[in-house]
Amino acid sequence: MSVLQSSSPNGLSKKLRFSPQRVVLRALLLGASLLVVPGDLIAQVDGQAVYDQWCAGCHGEDGAGAGPAANTMLPRPRDFTLALYQVRTTSSGELPTDADILKVINEGMPGTAMPGWEEVLTEAERLALVDYLKTFSRFFQGDPPTPLDFGRATSGGEDAIARGEEVYQSVECWRCHGQEGRGDGESAPTLNDDTGFPIFAADLTENWRFNGGGEVEEIYRVLRTGLDGTPMATFSDIVDAGVITNEDLWSLAHYVRSLSPEEEPSVEEVVTAQLLTDTPLPQTVEDVVWEEAERFYVPLSGQIVVQPRWFNPRVDAVWVQAVHDGQELALLVSWGDPSESPDTLWTDFGGQVVTTMGSDDEGAATGSGTADQLVVQFPQQLSEGQERPYFLQGDTRNPTYTWTWQSDIAGAFESIARGMGTAARQPDSEQHVRATAQHADGQWKVLFVRPLDTGSAEDLALTAGQAVPMAFQAWDGDNGESGSQGAVSTWYFLVLGQPTPVAVYVAPPVALALTLLFGLLVVRQAQVGSGMWREPDATARAKRAAKRKQLAGMGVGVIWLGMAFGSYQNSRAGWEAGHADLGFWWAIIGGLLAIAGLGALIGTWIHTRTSK
Amino acid sequence: MGALKSVFRLLGAPFRPISSVMGRFLNTPFRQATAVLLFSYVLIEVGIPFIPPVFGMPSAPIPNTVVLEYLIIAIVGILLWVSDNEQRWSEFKQPIHDILVQPDRRVARGALFVIVPALVAAQTYFSAQPDISAPPSFRAIHPAPPSSITFQGEQMVLDGLENPLRSAGSLEEHYETGKQVYYQNCLACHGDGLQGRGHYAPAFNPAPLSFQDAGTIAMLTESFVFWRIAKGGPGLPNEGAPWNSAMPAWENFLTADEIWSVIIFLYEQTGHDPRTWEVEGEEH
Repeated sequence: MSVLQSSSPNGLSKKLRFSPQRVVLRALLLGASLLVVPGDLIAQVDGQAVYDQWCAGCHGEDGAGAGPAANTMLPRPRDFTLALYQVRTTSSGELPTDADILKVINEGMPGTAMPGWEEVLTEAERLALVDYLKTFSRFFQGDPPTPLDFGRATSGGEDAIARGEEVYQSVECWRCHGQEGRGDGESAPTLNDDTGFPIFAADLTENWRFNGGGEVEEIYRVLRTGLDGTPMATFSDIVDAGVITNEDLWSLAHYVRSLSPEEEPSVEEVVTAQLLTDTPLPQTVEDVVWEEAERFYVPLSGQIVVQPRWFNPRVDAVWVQAVHDGQELALLVSWGDPSESPDTLWTDFGGQVVTTMGSDDEGAATGSGTADQLVVQFPQQLSEGQERPYFLQGDTRNPTYTWTWQSDIAGAFESIARGMGTAARQPDSEQHVRATAQHADGQWKVLFVRPLDTGSAEDLALTAGQAVPMAFQAWDGDNGESGSQGAVSTWYFLVLGQPTPVAVYVAPPVALALTLLFGLLVVRQAQVGSGMWREPDATARAKRAAKRKQLAGMGVGVIWLGMAFGSYQNSRAGWEAGHADLGFWWAIIGGLLAIAGLGALIGTWIHTRTSK
Repeated sequence: MGALKSVFRLLGAPFRPISSVMGRFLNTPFRQATAVLLFSYVLIEVGIPFIPPVFGMPSAPIPNTVVLEYLIIAIVGILLWVSDNEQRWSEFKQPIHDILVQPDRRVARGALFVIVPALVAAQTYFSAQPDISAPPSFRAIHPAPPSSITFQGEQMVLDGLENPLRSAGSLEEHYETGKQVYYQNCLACHGDGLQGRGHYAPAFNPAPLSFQDAGTIAMLTESFVFWRIAKGGPGLPNEGAPWNSAMPAWENFLTADEIWSVIIFLYEQTGHDPRTWEVEGEEH
């Protein structure tokens, strides 16, 4: 019972109607959870108390989806009074089963603000919630719904995916989701949910954000049941009507799954720019180099730090790729954006978004239709310590140096910023960054190219091997984004790859040889010590000495040749990175080593021949 | 089975069914020492991460440096034990000496000559590769607070400061006000579970603070929490890495009462108690 007392230190818990039950339950469950939770204990949990404490902030105490946080979210929190549930195992238009509701409470709704509750609420609390949610609508008073039988998933593979793509075309998924699945279809700008709010067609290349879950079985379930309350319809009816087969629908699920990466991308703190030695630096977004270069995933969030804030960013992440050739850096940034803003087809949609997200913040946007924008941000100067400029375009003391690309201006420009929205464009004579952009199938690709060292003290110089802080900001003009109302990231690091140092080739053989030598010495010492070595006679000794000389000569020769190879590698890398002096000196060293190594080998060979 | 037999023979042990292996195999100090070392490694690497969940705390893998440190302690202990008496010490050394000297251990000796230098070479190869990791970051999560701050233009002494709302008005009302403030402003990052897992959290490094964690508000005074909310990331001293914190300076958005009420909400919702100031004179 000590748990009970210490949990209500201020006497407040006793006044709040929910707390005592919760505390008692927690205390009891703590003891009982290792055994079995008795059924009557579950019955004691007050679902309403749990709901009021943890759910009402978004869904509202009356369950109508209009809690205090609701207008910072799009899609809006579920309105339980309508009994419209997206994630179901039942036919479109039917109620969800208890298990369906529990699944969403447990796992949350990916891509929305709804989190999973398994770690915060006990199982008894979550079960009590399911019962309480159903009291918001009298539809649940009737018979419980029966779940559909989904059967087993068909096997995937290339054939299923190819068939799925045909189905994608024939049942016109592209009308909303677009040809490449990025939610840029012709109908996308006209979509509203059943409560009248604007809704985006899902970007099918990001399955970790699918409302109903991103695996094949879950996609198939959504295709069968639809996402009720949204424009995502059920496809059960056209299967029933014989337009496509059930297997076709599974193939479609396999195809949709194949549009996303196999695993949800992980976030790496360091973006590496590979050193190109054989290929020229890419000058277009379509260069084949980009098919090979590693892609780094950078998630973005709404800018909610300085006024006016923005709670509904369209760009949820950018993909970054970088290469350099020792002279220039090429940085390719790609991200999903259904429109090439300003696009009049999207003007109304963006207007609705701005109205829906209506902000009281000073200077908040009142309409949409500005340009799309991307900012790549660096510190203006690298600090000796770990200090960096403030991640939102720096401050007066510590400015940032930025590359800005806009969809309504060709190329990109460099600026110095001392705080969000204070970017001052550098004079034309000081502009060094070039940019080319392409918008296709709901995706922007912007390629920035800049000399590593521009020769200007104002611009950050990039050096191979050095970690340079880098951050990203993105705006979708057709989503009503401009100024401080956009999507932002915190700091990452850009590291330019450098030629493989000679130590990589030299150190391991040396370490190997030394370890071997040491081992031989130890063994010999032990064997001599235990009297296992007889004193050899003179001929045997001479023979052994000759053998030793031969081995030493060959060993030295091989090691020198190995070092010559390492020098050759360094020389080549030096030339290709534009350091002719380095290349030259390594070539000289390599040459001398090669001659010495060959000399040692040939000398040993001749010596062995003659002494025989 | 044949392969297993030869492995055992290589180690100098007769091959027997598992049941008798434990007793028979661990019959020399060297094998016992090896077994203890292996057992401690498994215990440290796999066993320790199971401990925090027993006390309801999240688990995490053990850093390699810590594993190394524990293993060194284990090795020192083992060496003390084997060298404790003369006979055990010489028995312990025997198999090592045998493998170096005995003609019937030639295969094992040869294997060691291949394996050890190869491992050393591989290790050298990987450590000679250029390092492309991020520079180390030294960030104090709870840096020392100032003794006073300027809040919205007015001087505010933090030392000894209590939450004024705890002695004024209805706590239930303050909780409700705080809840409104939290859901409208804090939720997107710190999340409705108060675990720092809001829908914007994945974009931020460092990640938003979890208030459920026993190492955050549970060990701070309310005045410290007020300072952090009011001044946010930009108000951190340099050791707190102010340039990377996405925490806004909430004095630009909220009144003092709104901040004090959201603090009440944080403690009530998580069930934590704030740390309190020692009252001067109480000890006398």
